[in-house]
Amino acid sequence: MISHRIGTSFVATLLAASLLVTACQQTPSVDQPGATQGGGVAGQADPNGEILLNTGGEPDTIDPQKASFVNEIAQAAFVFEGLMTFDAKTTRPVPAAAAKMPEVSADGLKYKYTVRDGLKYSDGTRLTAKNFEYSFLRGCDPTESGDYAFVLYIVVGCEAWNTMDPRKASPAELAAAKAKVGIKATSDLEIEFTLTSPAPFFLPVSALWIGWPVRESDVKKGGDRWTEPVTYIGNGPFKLVEWRHNEKLVFERNDNYRKKIQIKRVTKLMINEASVALAAYRNNELDLVGVAPTDLRTVQADAELKAQLVDVAGSCTSYYGFNVRRPPFNDANIRLAFAKSIDRDALVRDLQQGIGKAADGGFIPPGFPGYDNTDTAQKFDPAAAKTLLEAASPASKAGLTGLKYTFASSSIAKTRAEWAQNQWKTNLGVTVELDPVQSTAYSALFKKGQEAPQLFSLGWCADFPDQQNWHSTVWLTGGLSAGRTGYSSKPFDDLAKQADREPDPAKRDALYLQAGKQLSKDAPAVWATYDSGKRVQKPWIKGVIDNPMDYGIPGFFALESIFVVKH
Amino acid sequence: MLKYTIRRLLLVIPTLFFVALITFALAKAAPGSPFDRNPDKPPKQEVIDRWNRFYGLDKPVHEQFIMYVINVAKLDFGLSVVRQRPVVDIIGQGFPVTAQLGIQALLLALAVALPLGVISALKQNTAIDYISLFFATVGTTIPSFVMAIFFIYFFALNLKLFPITGWGTPQHMVMPTVILAMGASAFLARITRASMLEAIRQDYVRTARSKGLREQVVVVSHVLKNALIPVATVVGPAAAGLITGSFIIETFFSVPGMGREYVRSILALDYPVIMGTTLLYAFFIIIANLSVDLVYGMLDPRIKVAK
Repeated sequence: MISHRIGTSFVATLLAASLLVTACQQTPSVDQPGATQGGGVAGQADPNGEILLNTGGEPDTIDPQKASFVNEIAQAAFVFEGLMTFDAKTTRPVPAAAAKMPEVSADGLKYKYTVRDGLKYSDGTRLTAKNFEYSFLRGCDPTESGDYAFVLYIVVGCEAWNTMDPRKASPAELAAAKAKVGIKATSDLEIEFTLTSPAPFFLPVSALWIGWPVRESDVKKGGDRWTEPVTYIGNGPFKLVEWRHNEKLVFERNDNYRKKIQIKRVTKLMINEASVALAAYRNNELDLVGVAPTDLRTVQADAELKAQLVDVAGSCTSYYGFNVRRPPFNDANIRLAFAKSIDRDALVRDLQQGIGKAADGGFIPPGFPGYDNTDTAQKFDPAAAKTLLEAASPASKAGLTGLKYTFASSSIAKTRAEWAQNQWKTNLGVTVELDPVQSTAYSALFKKGQEAPQLFSLGWCADFPDQQNWHSTVWLTGGLSAGRTGYSSKPFDDLAKQADREPDPAKRDALYLQAGKQLSKDAPAVWATYDSGKRVQKPWIKGVIDNPMDYGIPGFFALESIFVVKH
Repeated sequence: MLKYTIRRLLLVIPTLFFVALITFALAKAAPGSPFDRNPDKPPKQEVIDRWNRFYGLDKPVHEQFIMYVINVAKLDFGLSVVRQRPVVDIIGQGFPVTAQLGIQALLLALAVALPLGVISALKQNTAIDYISLFFATVGTTIPSFVMAIFFIYFFALNLKLFPITGWGTPQHMVMPTVILAMGASAFLARITRASMLEAIRQDYVRTARSKGLREQVVVVSHVLKNALIPVATVVGPAAAGLITGSFIIETFFSVPGMGREYVRSILALDYPVIMGTTLLYAFFIIIANLSVDLVYGMLDPRIKVAK
């Protein structure tokens, strides 16, 4: 899943004290020449328009084949463009650098993409299918790849090569494995992928950042430092002109890009603290900034800021996971009892100031294919919850004493944990102990299998908009959360695997819906909330089309429609 | 004096060795792994194993330490595990900024604290003394991030005097420097005042006055030098602390310095960066202490630094 790493929050809770100071202040009025108070800005695009964004902290890497956090992908997304992208309005995969949708063989195993003719990198050199071949292979390369290599394991030979140990295997063995990978540029403009089994979800996978075309010459020339501006050359809408580490990234329009971009420059600052970012926004040092739940009241209290609020759709679901291998959660009755005793509406309203949505429809959030608002297996129902608890086996009920809720500690996580603890006490009469753990040590706990934490917090954010990335990747036997919970259900596995291969879209969607309902009923986890957010945006920024998959860059899938009005 | 200085400088090497040993042991003892950046989506075990091998983290701990020491002797501080950039690059870019901020704050703090401390001692129990006491209390008790928020809202948003984030122009530097200096100057002012009050009551001061010297000469030539000895003791570590950076100030004002980076590397268990930065800081503290000892010798010839 892509992770949204938000800045340090330990200080944010202490800011309550300082809010006393600010509450005594007059709300500052933005009275600079040209700044407008809500609406009324004429629509003349400034050809030299500049946008100031906040990207949070310094990205650890902006190498497309190594990126895994939204903060990292967002930088690469400005400079590179892949074969496919997602449509800004429907989120369906559409051709980008590819000239058209790929040709799929009858057996569903071969995908042939044709690259548009005449595409160039920002320095004028021609973009060919060989560049894509190099990048996709690099995504499988055991010496180069990052956390997301797994999305390419559906390609023949990729997993075998990627899991070799470069120190133990000989160069000949590595080369032989590389030669077996089913990624071949068959001509200057054509590239063919061979899959291990039919997989309609390869279409969205081919749009992901792991296949963005980096140039071999740049990587070789720059070595460890190839992501610095001088060698970080791409075929995307912008070029990276400056990277002042820990301070800012500056991008300028790439005039060799295939579409006309109306913004001349984008500067991304690195402000960790949400409240400082909001202050910077009010000071016109940022054009657009996310609003944290703690700042929402301040924003809503100011008429001007309130008018600038925009809803941001999310791509994540957070949930509480169970270790189903041992009591008490080896009993489905107890699991469902816990699921039905959480008042999700109260969670969103009280804990998150109304930001986010109650998880009322299964695992997949709204806005993504597979969202199922008829899935009511886990709906809040304290009476039913108590009945289910009574019906549980005594052996499992015995496991309720000394039950611990384990979570990666942060101030936000602790508040949510306390809230959940309270819900289970009030609605179910079960006492749960809190067990906060340092986040770097959290994952290691799950290697213990049987002895892994009994009740823990978890989240999943979409890598690409397809049910396979939710149901199959996460909950198939051996999948990411399946592994942590110990969940393994043959009915679910059969449904999901069948759906993964099904070429007919209608049948595929139906199969995934069935799988989803099975999953919610089995309740290896309690779906808590779907995330969403809010941001404020200056009135002179126009043409932003939001999409839940946009890597944290508002309007990313239709950058050409964004323009800045002179102000 | 020279022999003393050289001997102290030679002692730097074993000191740093022990600092490295202790830091290394502590960092390794901390649970978790640097490759576990995201608790909700951990990489596969093969991937983690591969990365461990690449960075030599799969070897026994003592072997890793010996490798590290040998590399440092060759001035190779390694690659950041999380950022894959040379540690020297990362520190080399962040440290000058932090040092500049720290030096500016130190100079400002001294410029404010010394005169304030001296004057409030000379005019003890007058209005100016009480004002400086008040300022000192405020400066030491109010946490820097509260001051930071207040400054941001008042000076930046309301009065529009300074930009909030970033670094580079003098306007960017004002707020971070002032806030960083405030804590140090409050503390230094108190120490200066206390030691002035003590020095002024010494017998030799009465002698000087009875010799007919002007008050100004008495204070400057006789009292001040002795009063500054305790201050010098404190300025050394304070300087080292300021120059090595304040995480909070750097976070709030988005100053691209080492303070932020250091805390990030600790939380992420980025061993090479932790080691490199700690060694650098230790080096500065050692130099700061050495300077303080040498300054003693200059202030008071009775304190013999040699032998």
